[in-house]
Amino acid sequence: MVKDYKVGDMAEKIKVLKETATELKRVSGGIQAVDRNVDRILASIKMLEINISDLVDIGIEHREG
Amino acid sequence: MEKYWNPVLETLPREQLQQLQLKKFQKILKWSYENSPFYRSLYKDAGLEPGDIRTLDDIRKVPKTEKSMLREAQGKEPFPYGSILSVPIEQVTEYRQTSGTTGQPVYHPETWQDWEWSAESWAYALYAQGYRDYDRVFLPFGYSVNIAFWAGHYAAEKIGCEVVPGGVLNTEARILKMKEIKATALMATPTYILGMADVAKKKLGLDLPKDLNIRKITSAGEPGACIPATKKRMEEMWGAKVYDQVGATEIGHWGYECQAQAGLHVLEAFHLVEIEDVETGASITEPGKRGSMVITTFDRFAHPCVRFDSKDIVEWSPIERCECGRTFRLLKGGVVGRADDITKVKGVLLAPTAIEEVVRDIPELGDEYEVVVIKKGDIDDITLKVEIAPDFKRDASAIEQKLAQQLRLKTGLRYSLEFHDYGTLPRYDVKAKRFKDLRAKE
Repeated sequence: MVKDYKVGDMAEKIKVLKETATELKRVSGGIQAVDRNVDRILASIKMLEINISDLVDIGIEHREG
Repeated sequence: MEKYWNPVLETLPREQLQQLQLKKFQKILKWSYENSPFYRSLYKDAGLEPGDIRTLDDIRKVPKTEKSMLREAQGKEPFPYGSILSVPIEQVTEYRQTSGTTGQPVYHPETWQDWEWSAESWAYALYAQGYRDYDRVFLPFGYSVNIAFWAGHYAAEKIGCEVVPGGVLNTEARILKMKEIKATALMATPTYILGMADVAKKKLGLDLPKDLNIRKITSAGEPGACIPATKKRMEEMWGAKVYDQVGATEIGHWGYECQAQAGLHVLEAFHLVEIEDVETGASITEPGKRGSMVITTFDRFAHPCVRFDSKDIVEWSPIERCECGRTFRLLKGGVVGRADDITKVKGVLLAPTAIEEVVRDIPELGDEYEVVVIKKGDIDDITLKVEIAPDFKRDASAIEQKLAQQLRLKTGLRYSLEFHDYGTLPRYDVKAKRFKDLRAKE
């Protein structure tokens, strides 16, 4: 069965994840247990960008596969 | 179960894949220029600005890098990574280093994000080789300063496999542990894959295909799985599929076999691979011609790798589309050799660069040298020709002693030493040929 991968929609959700994580770090008051875990979350979000969001930069909003 | 780790990227049409590669190249070039003193200086000297690269063809304008440059740069601040480091050193969370096979090891920093990248890139390969969350994966390697299979460990975890670290166990204990826990997959060098099979049979009396459950093996770290006879031998001994996988500390993991075993897929969403004619430097884009690989790694930021001349000899495969459906281009036969061949002399592996390091570390010697290896009967004879710098001619005896001692220490070999008048050995502008192996090739 052919699947329709909604790349643009996924990229939007990834953007929200990144903004939320970044905002959490901004309001953490420097709590290391928050900041360091957010850094790890942001590293994982970067992998989502590599896998999905970067495709939007070349005009791919969805793909069938 | 899904066929691909990332169906969107792995089946991307060629034209879009190249668009993506150009964007990513531009990004890492700009990052390197703005954050690494080494790269900024390299590009400024070449009169290159990141904005000059507008097409894939423009990329050839970007100066290449090579391992000797990395070694030189790491001698600078900040310790120990030097001027390639492109993030504040406080962000470095992992230390790695090259094996030092070709000379002084190169230290490699990883941020947590770069380390995630390493695991991610391996996940593409392992998934293509059939690793799934029901696999119990055994890693029989010394978890140490070299990268080895560290990223394979984390990638298998990422896929959801159950990972069993076989670190300090000896070979027999490792085999018995794999048997005991019914491990289904393993990662090792081809030498060790063969060595374990030998121990299993001769010391433990085991028939691996019957007595163990290993059904797939990822072979990396040296050629072997790309050599058909060796692959066949490993697969027969283990009763398992053996997949070739290639990477380097400075580059990251960049190539892998999928289950079709039709060649080495280049992980093109993470790297740009160019092949250059070893003699002329001309770009090779068609199948059937071997050349040296120049590689750029995308999205790995602490220690960027931009147009790195890896010296790996490779050739494009004539297969345009692998039967697995991935659009990542294939290399025929994996890495088929090294441009700066490390050679065996008197049974000892010798890197010409190791000799260079000794010679150039002795200030009383001139810059030029020449190494000649011949066969005297059945025995290799190695001669090193050097020049004594003009001011030190009277100290020849002491210099000879120092040189012989350092060579023995750094390369494990004895040499016939010849001292020539300063300026009499050949000089080169490009592509120096200082290592002359005159032994008849078998």
